[in-house]
Amino acid sequence: MQYLTLLSILFPCIMGAALFVWKPTDRIIRNRYSITVVLITSALVLGTAFCTWTYGGDSVAVTIARISKHLVFEFRPDNVATIFGCIIGVLWPVTTIYAFNYMEHEGNDNMFFGFFIITFGVVAGIAYSANFFTLYICYEFMTLVTLPLVMHSMDAKARSAGKKYVLYSMTGAALVFIALMYFVQYSDSLSFTYGGILDLARTAGHESELMLVFVLAFFGFGVKAAIFPFHRWLPAASVAPTPVTALLHAVAVVKSGAFAVMRLIYFGFGIGFLRGTWAQYVVLAAAAITVIFGSCMSLRMPHLKRRLAYSTVSNLAYILVAFAAMSPLGLLGGLLHMVFHAVIKITLFFCAGSILHNSHLEYVYEMEGMSKKQPITCAVFVVASLALMGIPPLGGFISKWTIATASAANLSWAGYLGAAALIVSAILTTLYMMSVVVRFYFPLKNAPALSDHCHEADARMTGPLVFLTVLMIVLSLASSGLYSWIGGMV
Amino acid sequence: MILSLMVFLPIVAALAAYPITRKSEKAGNVLIIGVTLAVFAMALSLLAGSLSGAQIPGFCGSGLNFSCGSMQTVMALIAAFMWLMTALASPEYFDHARCNARYYMFYLWTLGALMGVFLAADLMTLFIFFEIMSFTSYVWVVQNETPEAIKASETYLFVAVIGGLTMLMGIFLLYASCGTLSFHELPELAAKMSDSRKLVIGICILVGFGAKAGMFPLHIWLPKAHPVAPAPASALLSGILTKSGIFGVVVLSFHVLDSFGHTWGNLLLVPAVITMVLGAVLAVFSTDLKRTLACSSMSQIGFILTGIAMACLLGEHGGIAAYGTMLHMLNHSLIKLTLFVAAGVVYFNVHSLNLNDVRGFGRDKPLLMVTFLMGACSIAGIPGFSGYISKTLIHESIVEYIHELAHHGANVLPYQVAEWLFLFSGGLTFAYMARLFYIIFIAKKPHHQHQKEGRYMGSLTALVLIVGGALMPILGLTAHSTMDKIAEFAVHFFHRHAMDHAVHYFAWINLKGAVISITVGIAVFALVGMMWLTKRKDGEEEYINVWPQKLDLDDYAYRPALKGLAFIGAVAARCVETLAAILVMGPVNLIFTGAEKEVIPPEDEEFSKYDTTSERSLVQRSFNYDLLCAMLGVAALMIFVIINL
Repeated sequence: MQYLTLLSILFPCIMGAALFVWKPTDRIIRNRYSITVVLITSALVLGTAFCTWTYGGDSVAVTIARISKHLVFEFRPDNVATIFGCIIGVLWPVTTIYAFNYMEHEGNDNMFFGFFIITFGVVAGIAYSANFFTLYICYEFMTLVTLPLVMHSMDAKARSAGKKYVLYSMTGAALVFIALMYFVQYSDSLSFTYGGILDLARTAGHESELMLVFVLAFFGFGVKAAIFPFHRWLPAASVAPTPVTALLHAVAVVKSGAFAVMRLIYFGFGIGFLRGTWAQYVVLAAAAITVIFGSCMSLRMPHLKRRLAYSTVSNLAYILVAFAAMSPLGLLGGLLHMVFHAVIKITLFFCAGSILHNSHLEYVYEMEGMSKKQPITCAVFVVASLALMGIPPLGGFISKWTIATASAANLSWAGYLGAAALIVSAILTTLYMMSVVVRFYFPLKNAPALSDHCHEADARMTGPLVFLTVLMIVLSLASSGLYSWIGGMV
Repeated sequence: MILSLMVFLPIVAALAAYPITRKSEKAGNVLIIGVTLAVFAMALSLLAGSLSGAQIPGFCGSGLNFSCGSMQTVMALIAAFMWLMTALASPEYFDHARCNARYYMFYLWTLGALMGVFLAADLMTLFIFFEIMSFTSYVWVVQNETPEAIKASETYLFVAVIGGLTMLMGIFLLYASCGTLSFHELPELAAKMSDSRKLVIGICILVGFGAKAGMFPLHIWLPKAHPVAPAPASALLSGILTKSGIFGVVVLSFHVLDSFGHTWGNLLLVPAVITMVLGAVLAVFSTDLKRTLACSSMSQIGFILTGIAMACLLGEHGGIAAYGTMLHMLNHSLIKLTLFVAAGVVYFNVHSLNLNDVRGFGRDKPLLMVTFLMGACSIAGIPGFSGYISKTLIHESIVEYIHELAHHGANVLPYQVAEWLFLFSGGLTFAYMARLFYIIFIAKKPHHQHQKEGRYMGSLTALVLIVGGALMPILGLTAHSTMDKIAEFAVHFFHRHAMDHAVHYFAWINLKGAVISITVGIAVFALVGMMWLTKRKDGEEEYINVWPQKLDLDDYAYRPALKGLAFIGAVAARCVETLAAILVMGPVNLIFTGAEKEVIPPEDEEFSKYDTTSERSLVQRSFNYDLLCAMLGVAALMIFVIINL
């Protein structure tokens, strides 16, 4: 059964790479090939998750290489990993279907789908990795395979964005590397252990040094999660084709960053070591600042996709606030928000992409009265916006409430700052989302009419949209189940 | 079960209302009347049985908890009654209107949400439905889609959202301190908090509820939003939605901060009195029928809040203030129902609400005149009508507190001023209602007045007006056997003792206040209303607007403040961001030297534009080279790791 894990990572990598060699010219064949590969991978990823729940992580663990005592290349899913696995396993096929329509006019499809499929495997690798060494390797690899996707259009803007992306990621990786070295120094094994892997006998006397290393590593992984001040690559990367921005920059890549931060805090340094120290306050405050900052910037962006990108910055910081709360409740809140934000933000990006692709509009002020032209897209947008704002009973509310409770439970200034930031940001979220929704449905009387070229997307775009909305509503209504399910696993 | 049904039946029915009304407006009308009737019947049944409450565990994490009894039942009953009445009046008003499918859907949704607010058994449930209600009622305000409606709805939404989230912060702190939000357990646990914490929590939650109630300084949305909504929706917004805010303030004052009564009462009294006076002054100067009524609502909310503040100050013996508060909530709902529906009748005949256009409209319409008069008398506090009873009770409570303080030899001046302002506002109420009545029913018609053909109102609307209008003298004249009983039933929720002796409403000591108010009112009506605000030219009257248009807190303070804050936030963020960019990109520029111009695409429309900068490069620049360097670095690090082990 261990091959399940191995296959879910290797299979997409090989099959994706095959597209570069094979280079099919027929669109239909390529699409069929891509969706088949993605669906099989999905089944493998979800199957691995399922086996982990039923038979435990050890039954699917696979060791590929053992370089030394510390450096073991190994995959071993645990419960937390399966949550991330489920997110990508469900959302990848949906995005692939959406991408077929979207990519029709973008060109260079073989390269796009090739890397798109490879990324699936790499992200699954991040999810299922067993130790920091494996996580680090996969993490680096992800930067490289997603780069061509960001730069897909290869114009000046895209290349500049890609360059920024790589430089920021490399900076982050360098910071993380320091932590990796310290782990080798101060622990017996790099395998994730809830509660931390540091050998406290050895760390005695070096606490402040390790705190500094933690802060650096937090920001290092935080780069991918777009933590302030290392967030600039994310809005720039919104030049990429929408399926990429939607899936990678709202779900896979950024969530990998948040996921890695979670591993670092709960499975690396351990909350017992960090809780109540200055290191916790620094990262909590940084995350809280990012929450506000992202919302502020989002409010000022007239470009819809960039507005959503900054909103992602803000929402990822919610997750980081939760993880930085360093309590089991924080872990629960962060994972919940990972799930909800993934579904909500991918939906919003799909809506933006649908408008961009079908009506060729990018700026919010151009979209007055859009609901007449693209009713389904706009309706979906409204539901997703309400969920993002956290209007009960939609999903965002429960996760934000949990995060705020976890943060305030710290009873420190940073904890209250985190909770207050969440509330302020909720106001800003309402402002920046509602100002779009209001334009869709209640246009100004003197607004120029939309051209006749604006039209609703075809079923391959609206299908994923509707599916995601239904998924969102179901998740919201089942939020208590989800809450106790995740609560039982962490 | 019945409680959950009251909440969720309208919410589910709303989903059906949209397609049904799209298909056939008749069916839609039947549907909303049927649903509101069902809810009303269920609300009535609450009076009979002793329900223990309902739970929906797990919903939204903490689960939903409902309970009923006491004030909750009364409020639910009033709400259901208001909805039923407006449902009856809606078909005529929305005849030929566009988008009424949308209106009906949100109409039912709001009913469900409001039921959730009134029947909530804990603050969390209350908050959840309160938020839903804010969003669904937003659509009412924007319904007409005129520029004013869009602007007003914007203000409404912002105030509601900011208020709601400030409230969430308060709820959150409360939860962190007490570990529970249930009304049942809160009083005991909340009493243990420190005073400063109570203050912070109180203010946070008050901002949320006060914003919905229209309390100064969060009233800005109210005079704008109520007039632009369709008339049945205005009646509900003014009559009952504001009460949800008041209900929240009651919960806050008597379930959370009861042990903090003295300070809290004083704190609440200040905005309450300002709201009361300001609303009345705005109403006197208004030249728009519905705006006058909306400002009047604001003023009456001030009266109610004053009642709550007095109940806090009087402590256990605040029964009289609690009676007054409860009854004024009830009266105000019924009065505003009648008056706004009457205003709706005027509007769909004349298609204007400007007093200059509608004057004389009601000269030959006795039914409209009588029902409007009932509402006007009641709200003005004429003895014999329901409004008089509740105002007298609140007034008495102020007097009682003054006596109590004088007895202890404390300074009574602030409360004396509050009492005078109370009577003065009562006088202004009389003045603006008298002016409205004079203009609509006595003044001469302009020649060009638009008039709908056929009957000026349908039978259902007439029924609503008659029921609403008749209730006022009936309640007012049988106060001891009707209103006192209702108040006695509800006062339990205030944690105050019921009054042990009945108030003699028609004794001179109680009538005195009303007489003073009415005298002031007549003077203001004659001097300000008829002389200052009315211009006469060739026997024609013109009502002028002397209120400076620019004196608008929203335009002058809140919007610029909001914009300014967003701007400052963005500038600050931008500065730090640039520093971060130097941190990350700086070393790159140090390593690579040699000139090559490069286009930097804009990344932020607000702060940057396309420009060229010279970047230095060590070697001929190419992306692959950068990548190669980066990968070499990674490889070197890897080797370093492996060697070190």
